[in-house]
Amino acid sequence: MKLDCKHIWRELSNYLEGEVSEEVRRDVEAHVAQCRHCAALLDSTHNVLVLVADERRMDLPIGFNARLRERLEREMSISGPE
Amino acid sequence: MVEQASSGTNGRSASAEGVGRFAGAKVSGCIVTLQPPPNLLGMSGSVSTMVDQQGAKKEKEYRLIDSVLAGNREDFHELIAPYRRGVYLTAYDVLQIEADAEDVAQEAFLKAFRALRSFRRESQFSTWLFRIAINEARMKLRKRREVPLETLFPDDDSENSDYTPMMLKDWREIPSEALLNEETRRLVRESIAQLPEKYREVLTLRDVNGKNIAETSEILGISIGNTKVRLLRARLMLRDIFVERTQRKPKQQTPRGVSP
Repeated sequence: MKLDCKHIWRELSNYLEGEVSEEVRRDVEAHVAQCRHCAALLDSTHNVLVLVADERRMDLPIGFNARLRERLEREMSISGPE
Repeated sequence: MVEQASSGTNGRSASAEGVGRFAGAKVSGCIVTLQPPPNLLGMSGSVSTMVDQQGAKKEKEYRLIDSVLAGNREDFHELIAPYRRGVYLTAYDVLQIEADAEDVAQEAFLKAFRALRSFRRESQFSTWLFRIAINEARMKLRKRREVPLETLFPDDDSENSDYTPMMLKDWREIPSEALLNEETRRLVRESIAQLPEKYREVLTLRDVNGKNIAETSEILGISIGNTKVRLLRARLMLRDIFVERTQRKPKQQTPRGVSP
């Protein structure tokens, strides 16, 4: 089955997850091979997600763990789990 | 100003690692091209090893929970240690203000401690914990009474409605050097901040924190189908915002300290 651009957009996220059937994967890749726009869309979305994944390493505010521990110690000493 | 990431490397210059998470990403010329289907989960090793590891982790968590409930409150620190960063990041992505995110993270852990007895062990501890964190973050946001951004984008997650990505002339261009600099990190943060709340939530859980679809849907309390649709929207919108912001930048590098 030939997919049009709208179908590609709908499958894009699942495709990036590797969560499409073999058939859909082939269709997406066949479409992308001849559609400049969808190829670009797929590429750039993927690239942005690479950048987003990098956010995972964002630094915690300095002293975050110490302050959390202190707060928990204080509150936990007052009352236990209900 | 900041506490280092858990690894020994500088947390802010580890883009190469970030790219490595997607086995398919390759920098070629000015364009980062997509190789055959990248696995966003970045999993390696056999499924059975993974299941074993998860089982062991779960057992350890249950032991710690029992211990805390038996009165060893100290053990709560160990129980939550693996999630401090993720909970903070999630709160930060929703709230976009460091101090608020820290407050919310503290509140969430405290709430989890107080409600620990009600954790039913039907879902993972982390799923339960992140649900508490998301709810705390939402409450904080309500209090701030932000002007809703939802109006900027279609607010319809039904399976039949499509989000149409922008058609920009040059949209393929996200220069590879952009992947490596501080300016880009700022642009990514700002672009995430510009997403409507519910899209920020799904994106931070799945794409920043690496939760899988099932966990994400459980944390958000929405169906798997709905999670996928929302995630697709979030990703396309983010791409649009990011590309638009990148192209707004002048080609020439501006001197340090001077904003473009």
